[in-house]
Amino acid sequence: MGQTMVEKIVSRHVGRPVYAGEKISRLPITKLFFNDVIGPPAIKGFLENFSDLFAKYGLTPQVFDPQRVFFIPDHSVPAFAIAIAEGIKLMQAFAKERGIAMYKEGDGIEHVVLIEDGHIVPWDIVLGTDSHTDTNGALGALAFGVGTTEAMYAMATGHLYDFVVPESIRFELSGALPTGVYAKDLILYLIGTMGAGGCSKRVAEFTGEGVRSLSMDARTTICNMAVEMSARTGIMAYDEVLADYLKDRARWPVEPIASDPDATYARTVHVDLSALEPMVAFPHKPANVTPISQVQEMIARSQREPTPDFCPVEDDTITDAFLGSCTNARYEDLVIGAQVLRGHKVHPDVNLIVIPASRKVYERAMDEGILQVFIKAGANVESSNCGPCFGSHMGVLSSKSKMISTSNRNYKGRMGSPEARIFLASPATVVASAIEGRLADPRKYLT
Amino acid sequence: MITGTVTSIFGDDINTDDIIPASYLQQSTDRRFFKDYAFEKYDPAFRQRCQQAEANIIVAGANFGCGSSREQAVYAIKENRVVCVIARSYPDIFYRNALNNGLVLITLPDTSSFRLGDELAIDLDAGTVENRSQGTRFTFAMPPEERETFKQGGMIGRVRAHLEEILAARQARR
Ligand code: SF4
Repeated sequence: MGQTMVEKIVSRHVGRPVYAGEKISRLPITKLFFNDVIGPPAIKGFLENFSDLFAKYGLTPQVFDPQRVFFIPDHSVPAFAIAIAEGIKLMQAFAKERGIAMYKEGDGIEHVVLIEDGHIVPWDIVLGTDSHTDTNGALGALAFGVGTTEAMYAMATGHLYDFVVPESIRFELSGALPTGVYAKDLILYLIGTMGAGGCSKRVAEFTGEGVRSLSMDARTTICNMAVEMSARTGIMAYDEVLADYLKDRARWPVEPIASDPDATYARTVHVDLSALEPMVAFPHKPANVTPISQVQEMIARSQREPTPDFCPVEDDTITDAFLGSCTNARYEDLVIGAQVLRGHKVHPDVNLIVIPASRKVYERAMDEGILQVFIKAGANVESSNCGPCFGSHMGVLSSKSKMISTSNRNYKGRMGSPEARIFLASPATVVASAIEGRLADPRKYLT
Repeated sequence: MITGTVTSIFGDDINTDDIIPASYLQQSTDRRFFKDYAFEKYDPAFRQRCQQAEANIIVAGANFGCGSSREQAVYAIKENRVVCVIARSYPDIFYRNALNNGLVLITLPDTSSFRLGDELAIDLDAGTVENRSQGTRFTFAMPPEERETFKQGGMIGRVRAHLEEILAARQARR
């Protein structure tokens, strides 16, 4: 019987063929990473709950495999409060004593740096203490976000417990994206169509010839937001684009992976990429999606039929714009943003914040003159971190703010005041909007 | 038997940013800390309502707890004396976080009949929710292992046993 990628990966790691619905009481994992939000409490929990057992065997508490554990301070860095600085120092000390790789503040966002550094390969089972761990699925890995407790368990034993093998939904992509339309528009479109809970308990597998035309940067954007339709994770098969990306980069053995043609899916959804246009998600949830051409109708609807998570929007003006986050601040995203911005200025009423997703992206963008485009046009460019996406520093929103962001969540209060309006869009749409001071179609800047 | 009062009724897609805003997450590693900030932006009256009852029950629509994987959302709820959540569905990460911390989550296909102030009695073994105020009764399905994990407040015992197996095997190899 044919298997999905998910079923194959789990089968390999448990050493017998398994299918969706089966419960695995102990699932071995291959990579585990922590950020500065969950790292400190997880370390504390690990030491509190397991130190006595290690002592019983005459050992100091050690993680299951220091080569496979990574600490990445990215959410609130450079630390802006003492409690955060203490947490990061705790992670540093714990990592150093045990030979665990610890990134530096400013090295980049967790869902970007491990991929960039060749730590994620097909067939991996990756756990991260963050829901956007699904991003790693773009490399043919099975990647899940987990909470503090499960991460602390995995730290000790290298296992995830009571894992039910999920079914997959197949998103069959055909055609190619038109000019001015990007991976972000595709995933927003899918979230809008499927709804916030539309992929619940299932894995979103993106497949078809449409995927082959997408770069790795674009693929990670898509998998990143699978969780916004409540998917367990997103995943994509190995192909030439991924092979190319991993060449000279992978630090672990690379083996191809794909679902069997006769694998069983919960459902198949067909999407023609060539029919898409730029999309915008309205406050307060990523599933409130409209094509850019229908923004005015959406504004009218928000006033007519508001709900707690679809709030009334007065008009299309914006006051803040953010090009950053684990969704959309990789090299290509900055190239696209700069392409739109070149020859223009940021609107006098708009605060545009640009945060490259990693130090490597930052350096390359600097070397190629891309950062200069943003800076000269009047943007604030910051060192790599989550920035305003996490809502606690670097551009926290006021009650009057209207933000358009390349990040992945526009929940009420996510980026500051609960009164603030947050729109989500692609880098091109965000930059076009920053130029015009209103929700703008980027296509006119790209011809 | 779990008993409590319905003190909050929410709609669909309540996310973990609604439950505990990000700005509090790194202020403490003590789970009790998050009690004072539960639903801070989404429903600031939540905590006060929770103080009125001995044991609180949250009723919600579909997809309760979506979004971020922050386990602090579970602490924020549980520390406000919430003994159980009844919703139409939960995303996986939140469900697992709740399971690991013994916050009981019940799934019912329709939660629209519950009213604020309803007194409920939940029998995990029988799989029933009894609404004593309205005199109604609902049944739910919960796999027996999950029921045990909820009751034991997590699976730490099992994980410790597993770690001990691993350490013993390592010692035998030395
Ligand atoms: S950029 Fe935003 S979504 Fe991504 S890891 Fe950071 S806080 Fe989470």
